[in-house]
Amino acid sequence: MSSERKRHVIPGEVITSGPYRSEQNTIQVGENIVSTIVGLSDVHDGSVRVIPLTGGYMPKDDDLVIGKIVSHSSLSWTADINSCYAGMLPASDVFGRDYSSSSDDMTAKLAKGDLIAARIVNADKTRDPLITISGRELGKIDSGELVKISPNKVPRLIGKRGSMIQMIESSTNSQITIGQNGLLVVSSEDPNGLLKAIRAIELIEEQAHVANLTDQVNEMLESKSE
Amino acid sequence: MGGRDTDIVLLDENGIRSDGRKVNETRKVTIKAGVLKNANGSAYIEFGDNKILVGVYGPRDVHPKHLSDTDTGILRCRYHMVPFSVGERKKPAPSRREVEISKVIKEALEPAVMLKEFPRTAVDVYMEVLQADGGTRCAALTGASVALADAGIPMRDLVAGCAAGKAADAVILDVNNEEDQAGQADLPIGYMPNLKKITLLQLDGVLTPEEYKQCIEIGIDGCNQVYEIQKKALQDKFFSNGEKQ
Amino acid sequence: MSDGLIIDQLKKTQILELLQEGKRVDGRQFEEPRKLSIDVGVIPKAEGSARARLGDTEVVAGVKVQPERPFPDTGDKGMLICTAEILPIAHSTAETGPPQPDVVELARVTDRGIRESGMLDMKQLVLEKDKSVIGIFCDNAVTDHDGNLFDACSYASTAAINSCKIPKYEMQDERPVKIEDEFIEPPITTLPVSVTMAKIGDFILVDPTIEEWGIMDARITITSNSDGNVVALQKGGSDGFTQEELIKCAELSIKVGSKIREIIKQSKQSDN
Repeated sequence: MSSERKRHVIPGEVITSGPYRSEQNTIQVGENIVSTIVGLSDVHDGSVRVIPLTGGYMPKDDDLVIGKIVSHSSLSWTADINSCYAGMLPASDVFGRDYSSSSDDMTAKLAKGDLIAARIVNADKTRDPLITISGRELGKIDSGELVKISPNKVPRLIGKRGSMIQMIESSTNSQITIGQNGLLVVSSEDPNGLLKAIRAIELIEEQAHVANLTDQVNEMLESKSE
Repeated sequence: MGGRDTDIVLLDENGIRSDGRKVNETRKVTIKAGVLKNANGSAYIEFGDNKILVGVYGPRDVHPKHLSDTDTGILRCRYHMVPFSVGERKKPAPSRREVEISKVIKEALEPAVMLKEFPRTAVDVYMEVLQADGGTRCAALTGASVALADAGIPMRDLVAGCAAGKAADAVILDVNNEEDQAGQADLPIGYMPNLKKITLLQLDGVLTPEEYKQCIEIGIDGCNQVYEIQKKALQDKFFSNGEKQ
Repeated sequence: MSDGLIIDQLKKTQILELLQEGKRVDGRQFEEPRKLSIDVGVIPKAEGSARARLGDTEVVAGVKVQPERPFPDTGDKGMLICTAEILPIAHSTAETGPPQPDVVELARVTDRGIRESGMLDMKQLVLEKDKSVIGIFCDNAVTDHDGNLFDACSYASTAAINSCKIPKYEMQDERPVKIEDEFIEPPITTLPVSVTMAKIGDFILVDPTIEEWGIMDARITITSNSDGNVVALQKGGSDGFTQEELIKCAELSIKVGSKIREIIKQSKQSDN
């Protein structure tokens, strides 16, 4: 079966009928496959899904996310990961399994308001997802600027095989840590580069659904204007 | 229901109503999606002279925890009128009428909203009536559906609202405030246009079985017209300035 | 309400560093309020209304007028009551139910700012002394919260009352009766305008955003009238102001307030 042209759909709209598999953001209603959200329908190899244009972040295993510490108990920190579920960071992740930590120890390592780059370890919805900060490029974030975009724009920001994000990083001399949850940290030695990188990100958020986005971003990055 | 004596001519000899409409015509409806900065989803609707602002937050954490459900997200709705929305100033505290309407709208949206994917969370729908002119619950429900879609809450269908009724012995569509006060029946309807199911239905007044059938028919027609406006609001926000990929 | 908002560490550091350089995160000067736009008559069925947008903060104020029995000790004056509520659509932490202390404070400060200024000559709003007077209610509904609700409510209220139409009432058989399609202009004597300032360290910032509010040490709201007099004051937050700071704040609020007063005056004219 061939791929059909992507279409704009809203909840309740019929995408197609017949022997197709109903995948993400679709349901089967009698013969029809129906969208459950506002997005772009994608019919491919006999299955139908809808790419969302709006909606929040749902934690998935192995996702890299940026989180903000909001509280702690003696056993763990709780992080706001821009989702309806909070991230749980066990004390053992930082202190090791046998170390029993006091409240002062906890706050000294990670205090309320601190930002972290973490990975989702176990995202089952019956409890808050477990996260870890032990790993390469994970841990407390000390510098840079936090930028928030809609989580469903993240794939566009990354681009095919990272092409979009690399283009922005190299032309603005900045490093961008992208959380799948729509939170990003942008840092650069060059304050103008930092501003340009942030503007490029804002442009992508606004124009994510437009076909010639890559050209628009390229143009913006290459322009001499500060 | 009113049935009050009035000097207003509800229906003249040409079949024209007091505000110039024909019996099967709705008032002018406009909807804009995504009007608030903070809410996850929002919509502003003008349904005749009704002006209603809807904001949606969620899925989000539930407090207190004992209200949450481990198997599914829950839907919470609040229909509220601001003090300056009606002729005689309304005190800010929720009235029994608002409590009932909140419940009825929640039960109109529940068949559409799919919250099993979000256990232990809540989706909050807040409908604020800024100016009222009859048929606010249908307008609020209509706006709420758009705000939910704007927030990315998965739904089986949108829910569109429109009331049918009877005034001057005729079955009419979309009862305004004057007609509600002085007319003979008011039947608000909430309808899922693709699944073809009625999810909100109330009656205030007296209808013969034949009039009841006509009201439902004309009301569904009104809901279908309103659905086109809901679609347009979402298309204008999400699909307007750009080509498909 | 925003007491529950945790500002992240990076943002806090960024705000403080920029302040040392004489800058604010959104590029404003310390004494510069955000862009203000006011539209009146947005709720045509109410006797008066205004929508104020201060940056991304939005408030809708509606004025309702109805005859009331006067308070026993002020039978020779009309009644004026202002309220404010933060609608739950305005912010993720806004709650429904009985108002929290910060919302009660917002309502009372808004009310005092309008009433103590003598904005309306209440003596002209009497139908029959000790029996029947005109009651004016100005209710503020915050629809979007991005900081500084005190000023947004002040501007929406002043604009709504300034542009309202008071129905004409006549006493008939001891009862007030509305005369259809006849109105009187509100007896406006002055236009009160509040200006709120946040203190962060030694810096005084006019019209704080919700993030500046989240890290501030203290704040003060000062209302001035058309004559440049101070008519209402409210200090808040857990730190204190020095004497010099308080004098500077009053001067600032009169200066900034007079520019905002012009915007409010314009909003009434563009409605006509």
